[in-house]
Amino acid sequence: MLLDVTKNLLEGFAVSCQIFGGTLVFGIPLGLLVAFGSMNRWAPFKRTVKAEGRFASVLRSFKPIAFIVRVFIWIIRGTPLLLQLIVIFFGAAILIGHAVFDRVTAAIVTFSINYACYFAVIFRGGIEAVPKGQFEAGLVLGMTRAQIFTKVTLLQLIKRIMPAMSNEIITLVKDTALARIIGVTEIIYYGYRYVTAQALIWPLFYTGVFFLAFVGALTLLFAYIERKLDYIKIL
Amino acid sequence: MKILEVVGLGKKFDGFEAVKDVSFSLESGEVLAVIGASGSGKTTLLRCLNFLETPESGKIIVKGKTIFDAESQTGYSDSQIRKNRLHFGLVFQSFNLFPQYTALKNVTLACELLARSEPGFKMDKVEILAGIEGNAREILDSVGLSDRLNHYPHQLSGGQQQRVAIARALALHPDILCFDEPTSALDPELTGEVLKVIRSLAAKQTTMIIVTHEMSFASGISDKVIFMDEGAALAQGSPKEILCDSSNARIQAFLRKIDVADGE
Ligand SMILES: Nc1ncnc2c1ncn2[C@@H]1O[C@H](COP(=O)(O)OP(=O)(O)OP(=O)(O)O)[C@@H](O)[C@H]1O
Ligand SMILES: [Mg+2]
Repeated sequence: MLLDVTKNLLEGFAVSCQIFGGTLVFGIPLGLLVAFGSMNRWAPFKRTVKAEGRFASVLRSFKPIAFIVRVFIWIIRGTPLLLQLIVIFFGAAILIGHAVFDRVTAAIVTFSINYACYFAVIFRGGIEAVPKGQFEAGLVLGMTRAQIFTKVTLLQLIKRIMPAMSNEIITLVKDTALARIIGVTEIIYYGYRYVTAQALIWPLFYTGVFFLAFVGALTLLFAYIERKLDYIKIL
Repeated sequence: MKILEVVGLGKKFDGFEAVKDVSFSLESGEVLAVIGASGSGKTTLLRCLNFLETPESGKIIVKGKTIFDAESQTGYSDSQIRKNRLHFGLVFQSFNLFPQYTALKNVTLACELLARSEPGFKMDKVEILAGIEGNAREILDSVGLSDRLNHYPHQLSGGQQQRVAIARALALHPDILCFDEPTSALDPELTGEVLKVIRSLAAKQTTMIIVTHEMSFASGISDKVIFMDEGAALAQGSPKEILCDSSNARIQAFLRKIDVADGE
């Protein structure tokens, strides 16, 4: 019996891990892109609008790319992940007339977009917190913006955002369970089946142990990374 | 030969003129001290020379070549600006060392990145990198830090950090090295070691522009002094002319204020 339950739960856990890993792999780069988008300073009316007055000055400082990205972040953070899963999976299928994604892919896509928006806000905070002098020192030394980002800013950024990112990533582990709404057979799906079909409770606790072990491992990993970055003392 | 000529340089922030029509020139090996009250535009002037700000008017000519002209029709691309910047070095008031790198790596980083973008880099990678490191060690030695190569910035005193910052700027061999109040973030007992390094650079004929509130240092080291007032270069001349013999009321008032502050 125990072996049977373990096998089933492991099967579900593998699916949970797919969603988790996929979300990190796609969500983090996407989050960085969204972060840069939300900080984009392109202001097409800055020089063209010469008029006086409140409206003209608002127009001059209007940054369309940053605005659109920030509205997007608002929508994604402002609506439930559950709703987004349903919209992406069923909504897309209805619009196109047949299933676009398989269930796990739909979950990974939705989770990546959703988490990217949370990551983006963390990244933006981290980038803005790195002192401007670091960037200027790089410029004066003839570095390109890309070099400054990768060689100077990035590591300081990672150090600054580790605590907030570890929170998000641990939340993500547990959020993967939401994918069940579109029929993804993740770990809780199996645990729940034992309750409904066989009136067994202990597999539920066993399911919890999987989460605890996984989050425990992540916690150790984060502690290790933070220790590794300990030599950087942000001045 | 004139190494630097600045003609009619001006910079506005939202209509406020932080630097107004500043002109001066420097011969190779000369040291220029820039003095003036807080808010008179000294930092902004240095930032314009290093293209951290884009001037609205004026020209910057280095070794006879116009590297910046506000009237230019074509403007300047990022890579042009980056190249032009390398004529100048800038040492910041607050050091701005990179905290994740050792003193040595702080000095070599920019040189390595520049070398990497050269076409022949892959062929002689090992030699080039060794050359860069040798150069950095030598420079760090010359600022008295040969025993601190592998220390991180937070393991160094303020004076040592500022000397690493000077070494970092020197490693790129700029034509003109600029200092923005290099000692004003330091405890008084640490300013001496930094000023000594700057004096030794002057002895080696390094062309420098130094913004400073240390009047005795300025008069001792400089060949020329510019007094800035409300963005304009109100007076320029030899240290003696500006710091001792000036009859200008604003300069006298400024020097008196500094004296009082020093006396405290
Ligand atoms: N980025 C900016 N935006 C708006 N105004 C600025 C900016 N930078 C400088 N200023 C203004 O320009 C003027 C000159 O500033 P600057 O920093 O060059 O003075 P300073 O001579 O270096 O003063 P201090 O001795 O205090 O360092 C000041 O009035 C300042 O408020
Ligand atoms: Mg200043």
